[in-house]
Amino acid sequence: MKVPLRWLSEFIDTGLSPEDLAHRLTMAGLEAEKITSIGDGWNSVFVGRVESVQPHPDADRLVLATVAAGEHRLTVVTGAPNIAQGQVVPLALAGARLIDGHAEGQVFKTLKPGMIRGVRSEGMVCSEKELGLSDEHEGIMVLEADAPLGAPLVDWLGDTVIEFEITPNLVHDFSILGIAREAGALTDRPVMMPPRFDLSTAPRAAADFVTIDAPELCARYVAVVIENVNVGPSPAWLQRRLLAAGVRPINTTVDITNYVMLEYGQPQHAFDAGVLAGDRIVVRRGRDGEMLETLDHQGRQLSAEMLVIADAERAVGIAGVIGGLNSEITNATRRIVLESANFDMKSVRATARALKVRTDASVRFERGIDPNLAWDAAARATHLILELSPGASVSAVADVYPRPRLPWVLSLPFAEIERLLGVRYEGEKVLDALSRLGFSPALDSVDEKLRVTVPTWRSDVKQAADVVEEVARVIGYETLPERLPTGQTAPVQRDPISALQRKVRALLSGAGCWETITYVTLSEDDLLRLDPDGTASPGLHNSGYAELIRLRNPLQADRDIMRPTLLPGVLQVAAENLKHERGVRLFENARVYLPSSNELPREANVLGIVLAGKREPLGRLTDEEGELDFFDLKGLVETLVAHLGLTTATFRRTDLPGFHPGRSAGLFIGDVRIGILGELRPDRAASFGIETPRVAAAEIDLDEILRAADPAPKRVNVPRFLPVEQDFAIVVRNEVAAGDVEAALRAGAGPLATAFTLFDIYHGPQIGEENKSLAYRVTFTAPDRALTDAELSKVREKIARTLRQHVNGDLRT
Amino acid sequence: MTTMDAQATINDIRTRALGELAAVSNLEQSVAWERAFLGPKGELTLFLRGLGAAPADQRPLAGRGGNALKVELTEIWTSRHATMAAEALDRRLIDDAIDVTLPGRPVGLGSSHPVSQMIDELSEIFALLGFQTVFGPEIETAHYNFDLLNIPADHPARDVWDTIHVSLPGEIVLRTHTSPMQARTMEMTDPPVRVVVPGRVYRYEAQDASHEWMFHQLEGLAVDRHITMADLKGTLAELARQLFGPDRRIRFRCDFFPFVEPGVDFAVDCAICSGKGCRVCKGSGWLEMGGAGMVHPDVLRGVGYDPDVYSGFAFGLGIERMIMMRSGVDDLRAFAGNDLRFLRQFASAA
Repeated sequence: MKVPLRWLSEFIDTGLSPEDLAHRLTMAGLEAEKITSIGDGWNSVFVGRVESVQPHPDADRLVLATVAAGEHRLTVVTGAPNIAQGQVVPLALAGARLIDGHAEGQVFKTLKPGMIRGVRSEGMVCSEKELGLSDEHEGIMVLEADAPLGAPLVDWLGDTVIEFEITPNLVHDFSILGIAREAGALTDRPVMMPPRFDLSTAPRAAADFVTIDAPELCARYVAVVIENVNVGPSPAWLQRRLLAAGVRPINTTVDITNYVMLEYGQPQHAFDAGVLAGDRIVVRRGRDGEMLETLDHQGRQLSAEMLVIADAERAVGIAGVIGGLNSEITNATRRIVLESANFDMKSVRATARALKVRTDASVRFERGIDPNLAWDAAARATHLILELSPGASVSAVADVYPRPRLPWVLSLPFAEIERLLGVRYEGEKVLDALSRLGFSPALDSVDEKLRVTVPTWRSDVKQAADVVEEVARVIGYETLPERLPTGQTAPVQRDPISALQRKVRALLSGAGCWETITYVTLSEDDLLRLDPDGTASPGLHNSGYAELIRLRNPLQADRDIMRPTLLPGVLQVAAENLKHERGVRLFENARVYLPSSNELPREANVLGIVLAGKREPLGRLTDEEGELDFFDLKGLVETLVAHLGLTTATFRRTDLPGFHPGRSAGLFIGDVRIGILGELRPDRAASFGIETPRVAAAEIDLDEILRAADPAPKRVNVPRFLPVEQDFAIVVRNEVAAGDVEAALRAGAGPLATAFTLFDIYHGPQIGEENKSLAYRVTFTAPDRALTDAELSKVREKIARTLRQHVNGDLRT
Repeated sequence: MTTMDAQATINDIRTRALGELAAVSNLEQSVAWERAFLGPKGELTLFLRGLGAAPADQRPLAGRGGNALKVELTEIWTSRHATMAAEALDRRLIDDAIDVTLPGRPVGLGSSHPVSQMIDELSEIFALLGFQTVFGPEIETAHYNFDLLNIPADHPARDVWDTIHVSLPGEIVLRTHTSPMQARTMEMTDPPVRVVVPGRVYRYEAQDASHEWMFHQLEGLAVDRHITMADLKGTLAELARQLFGPDRRIRFRCDFFPFVEPGVDFAVDCAICSGKGCRVCKGSGWLEMGGAGMVHPDVLRGVGYDPDVYSGFAFGLGIERMIMMRSGVDDLRAFAGNDLRFLRQFASAA
């Protein structure tokens, strides 16, 4: 809300600079977002009088005006069509910084004297646009006749506007009056009320002039009928105030309702009484099928959910939201009904939402306005209307207010303040703070209770904590001491998945990988890029496209899928980085969102890894050409899961959508697939914009790892004997998988074997074209003894047997 | 063999040995010389061993002469060899010299994401203050995201959170803050409660340098008998000092969040200018860290806590914002951008 300080000064003299006032209010909960000055640049602009206007000797459209302002008296050449002798106008002297009236937007230029069609112009008379007051540049600005001639214009028209953010709880501050009350409380200065018409002296309207058919949605309806109103452009001061507050002037009556809304926070509306059928106002629910064309020339479909203002026959306005075109105030209007009413906040909010219209009125009503405000605001508006329309008079007043809102009393232990704030304030200080805010507090010395009568405009103060906040913000939060909570601590519980994730991050970082955090949404296209033919989403967890979790209002229309896989996100990061990196090792350690039969989807903790590009950096000591591939990824995954305490994981060749059919595998615990890894099909990698020869990607379910892993070792042997290493060259047919050979080797080697290393694969004529030889070095150790040759040769025999049986393999000697 | 023969042999060996030793010019030759004369199969060794076959009367004399020669040659050689070894070592040390300013062999270390680092750091700080780290669902019901936090469906307060809705039955949203875990945690446990909740949150918000639709928050909640706003202020001051330096101060400003009362936002004095006002703090001297307050009695009631017995504080802060404040990052979008050139600059912070 924009608060022009000249306007505010009619309510309170704070004695503070604009900056200090803004700061005090900000600290107390009214955040000043912006301070702007009107007239900041008017150093050489004065209030002048047009003494004479002569034709320009050489140009039909220009005139020579002689303008006097104090000691300055100069001739200006102007094309302003509205200039006339006797006008009071803003006169700019050479050196004034003005806005170029002919340029788009606000382009500043410094005024210099110059020759215009052969006549020297020594200054300028200004339009509103040139002064930065509005976009008006049709003619010069004409000031009020009582403007002080010769004075700097800034003294007459300058102002400072503070723009406040009003949080939803502070509807009572949504007005000049509200800000004045706050400022009064903070500075301990009185608030002055502007003049109001005494409505109690006016004739009462007929009992049925206003009927409330839906009292649950309308707590109060004040209507003032005013006769002989003159409707026309508002005087300059009124227009300027509205403009400074950000409201467009329309005509006297409408401007006054807006003016009072800004001043009191009470939205008002004026109807042309001449068009009201039956000369009455009915507040009722809309009827199904009922239509109303509103002031913005939109046809609106009304419903029983909406509250409307009607005459005897038809709707003439939508309560608290927007008026109807049929009863609009025009320059021909002579008789008006001024509405100052209180409508239900929820109803106004729902109606405004349904109609997709937000007005200054609706944003105030939907925050819940004090119904007691309606009467005073009506009296204020009436005063202004009568002031601007000499000869107008109030012919009738109606006030339907069946259940008046009364102040309420909150009672709380005085100690509640200390219980919540942790600081003890003197009773006097507390009473003073509350009194300044308009509360009536009393401290009972017997039961130590604070009884606070709450003014009806403070609907946000409903319980003890609300009172405590009022005390704290007036006395000031800087008075709170700093302490740490004492007392019993809560029982300790470590979150196992986050501990695991921390470990994953540490391990992968140590292995040269960089963690990424990508957006959680994907487009269908992102998934189809990985698997163009799929009916289910690709990646570790596969869901049908219809089952995927989708957003109703995504930021980008096509990115509406809550990702079921991390891979597209990490692949996109890889593609971006490969534009400037030789190689990338990336991972993401985050959630994917999977369909579930529960109310909320399953959020699975998943690890995604992508390796692509050169294995090593450029350097004199590095292998500059090696490309990251399947085995880099597998080595990483093997080591990772081992370090996470997973001893029983196995890798099996697996077909994966989007992956290279000959270079992809599943990571299994027993028969449960807990991860996938492999190289992407080159065409799929290319669809992500990755052009490295190979792209290796893995996705692993960390929840499953947590379930299966045993990270705290249970039986650790302290090594006391040197290990024995033996090599085994195993000849098998080419098609036998190395994993099966190793499994057989392990089975045969038994518990004495503690490490297996495949160090060579040999093909050659000696062993036959159809065969290969896998060379393993096996480490044997026993915890309690040095192994003997006899023991080891027995093991060797068992290995030979097992290899023959399981993989039809021969030990080569 | 006569005495003369033995002596002549000794002399002959001596002459040749010394001559050859004089010609030795490197360690290999030196080792070869030692093997040739003094080694187990060396000439002198064999000679001495051969004395057993000599006539008994000649043996002592020849033996003495031979052994004396062995001592003499051993001494000379040992010293000569040591000198040469030392020279060789010196030469090797000279020859091995490298330009130590050349780069080392690259070690490819990676790093966790700055957001993860900050979450870990905050969890650690709060663990020391007795707060457990807990996590909650990112896809959340409106019941937890709004209703239990005193943000009713038909209230304009709900407009403060621009919400992304999920196409599921019921009112399911991407959580707009980590605050739903306040209610979830309190529902699951009796007081005392002390938790922090880091996590991802979502807003329907157009992106620019200071706005993101997805970012991370850390929520804090302490509920017990006798928890006060002074405890909140002290806790947040401790946080500010841990993150931004030991001299930092905290400032509370009255603000509105429906689930706290009193509610404040909290700021730390600018570490660059110590609160005097500079470009970083836009002249205000203060940098806003987050929102906080005393848990609203309606929120306590909603989870079955008696607000007359228990009180609590809650706070929330933006993870990315903390990083931006501390590391001078000027574009929020960089965090989800994952440019390695950006991420590398945080490697030392892990």
